[in-house]
Amino acid sequence: MKITIKLIGPLIYKAGFSEKKLVLPDPATVGDALERARLEKYREVIITVNGRAVCFSDVLKDGDRLALSPIYSGG
Amino acid sequence: MKGWTGHILRVNLTDKTYKKESFSEEFATTWLGGRGFAAKILYDELKPGIDPLGPENKFVVALGPISGIPAPNTGKAVVAAKSPLTGFYGDGNLGSKVSEHLRKAGYDAMIVEGKAERPTLLYIEDDKVEFLSAEEVWGKGTSIVNEWIYAKYGKNVGTLNIGQGGENMVRYAVVRSLEGRAGGRPGMGAVMGSKLLKAVVVKGSKPIPQADPEAMKALGYGDLKKVHELDQKSGWSRQSTNGVLAWCNEVAGLPVQNFRKTSHPDAWKIDGERLDKARVATYGCPSCTMKCGITIHDKEGRESELDYENVGLLGSNLNIFDLCQVGSLNFLCDEYGLDTMSAGCVLSFYADAIERGATEGDFKFGDAERAKELLRMTAMREGKVGNLLADGSLRMAKAFGHGSEAYAMQVKGLEVAAYNCKFIPGQALSFGVAPIGAHHREAWIISFELKSSSRESYGPEKAAKVIELQRIRGGMFETLVACRFPWIEVGWQIENYPKYFNAVTGLNWTLDDMWRTADRIYSLIKLHYLREFPNADRKGDYPPAVWFDPSNADTAGPIAGKYLEPEKYDGLLQHYYDQRGYDKRGIPTKDLLGKLGLSSEAAEAEKYAKLS
Repeated sequence: MKITIKLIGPLIYKAGFSEKKLVLPDPATVGDALERARLEKYREVIITVNGRAVCFSDVLKDGDRLALSPIYSGG
Repeated sequence: MKGWTGHILRVNLTDKTYKKESFSEEFATTWLGGRGFAAKILYDELKPGIDPLGPENKFVVALGPISGIPAPNTGKAVVAAKSPLTGFYGDGNLGSKVSEHLRKAGYDAMIVEGKAERPTLLYIEDDKVEFLSAEEVWGKGTSIVNEWIYAKYGKNVGTLNIGQGGENMVRYAVVRSLEGRAGGRPGMGAVMGSKLLKAVVVKGSKPIPQADPEAMKALGYGDLKKVHELDQKSGWSRQSTNGVLAWCNEVAGLPVQNFRKTSHPDAWKIDGERLDKARVATYGCPSCTMKCGITIHDKEGRESELDYENVGLLGSNLNIFDLCQVGSLNFLCDEYGLDTMSAGCVLSFYADAIERGATEGDFKFGDAERAKELLRMTAMREGKVGNLLADGSLRMAKAFGHGSEAYAMQVKGLEVAAYNCKFIPGQALSFGVAPIGAHHREAWIISFELKSSSRESYGPEKAAKVIELQRIRGGMFETLVACRFPWIEVGWQIENYPKYFNAVTGLNWTLDDMWRTADRIYSLIKLHYLREFPNADRKGDYPPAVWFDPSNADTAGPIAGKYLEPEKYDGLLQHYYDQRGYDKRGIPTKDLLGKLGLSSEAAEAEKYAKLS
């Protein structure tokens, strides 16, 4: 399956990309995707799939958009 | 008494007099400083029902026990008065060297009374106070006033000033400082304008009394370096607050088209990455080691300093996805001295009301050029439209009728910050119960809702989190006075702040002592509200009605079909009241007020309204 990974704010500069497509074997979890993208170390972040909060063990489906954001205290 | 200068400067513009007043150690440790001092002074000295734009209102500048002390992000000052926008206590903070210079002049606060005969610059240098003419810059924008002050006094002074918005008493005019900062969203600049007070310049040279200056110096300078290193490591300053925009767009929390929509495919054009790439300079407040002010060249080639709130509310909320145009709107707000956030909500409400047929007009979403013209008309209060927009969205809605109040994005008269809470119950609660109106400073709970809780929940854990955040943000940071950014953004431990407080005062306070002070201040602000609105009830703690409207729900995306459910919101509100010790109207009970040491303040409130 193919998913999109979107990084927010400072994570972009740490990981070296802002957004990219990722091809994963089916089935795959959020944790699998993060490991494949070498993002598994970012555990203290907010992880959403299609805008809804998820856990590492949640299963992904084709076309999902996985986003990682640091915790902010506002604008 | 260490940590405080022990003095307040009282200035009367009507008769050009001033005096240095002392306060007790009990006053200091009960109210701490900043917001605490301002709320208490105004509660004691203002009669309910006065005209906020009349000479009987008072303009307060209040600092905290760590203001002017080199330590992380302590370069902030609180400005407060009865708000012409909300009709009760209002305040805000801004980065300004006033934080250091007023303290070095020997004062922890300044109270400005009366009204000058002519436009005035108030010059304070240690024990000297001068009432000087500001007629030369009356009618001028804030950057011109800044340059004028630089030319007269050099850059090593603390300043506050207003633009044309303040002069013309736009109800959401702010106070500005030389460092490009703005504060006092609920019309604190209009209060200065009503007094013909164009600017304040302060120069102080005395040492600030501290229990252990050497220890504080070592601690403060060391920690400034550490916070800077944490910021460099985290990379937060690359996008500063505007990193939030892309996230809000992901999670259906972005204000788009007067909050009708929660995301937009063009949001990337104004996000933090684009802002970072367009950067021409970076600015910060005094004593800041993680500067958040990213400036770009606007459409007209001028420098404009942007952050998330103004990009969200002057950009996506107006369907304007051109960063240069957003920069232009922001520049004009800064120059006129208008609150960018309220201005964004006022313009979006105007466009929405025209589109829905509640009023006539020629402004449409996405029209940046017309928005610029409307900002000018607002600041000058030009014609019927300019005057209408200058009064804020709640008054506009009352003038329009046709049910438009439902989509006037405000609480208690203060426009909401850039978080679309169609389905973010905790953040909606945070706006609802923010003590001065829908200010994001009090409790920013979205991260918690999306990470550690369930977005669907209306449970007591969200009320508890709002209270926890209010105590930290609207309480401790607003009284000490310091910026909150090092705490979450780069992980600077909250326990550091009582350490600074104890080092300067010689006291031995814990965070719990800070929370108790915060609760006292929140309760006092509620009494301010009750005294002005004796029939206040829990409906005053509701967010804009449109968020409860099923027909306003998103039709696609992560919250398709979702909206705030009124009964559930009311239950969440009750959790908040129960945990706070407030009655069913959202007013502190006599029992709570007694426990917080506010019995005499309660007795004063009872002259005007009933307490439970």
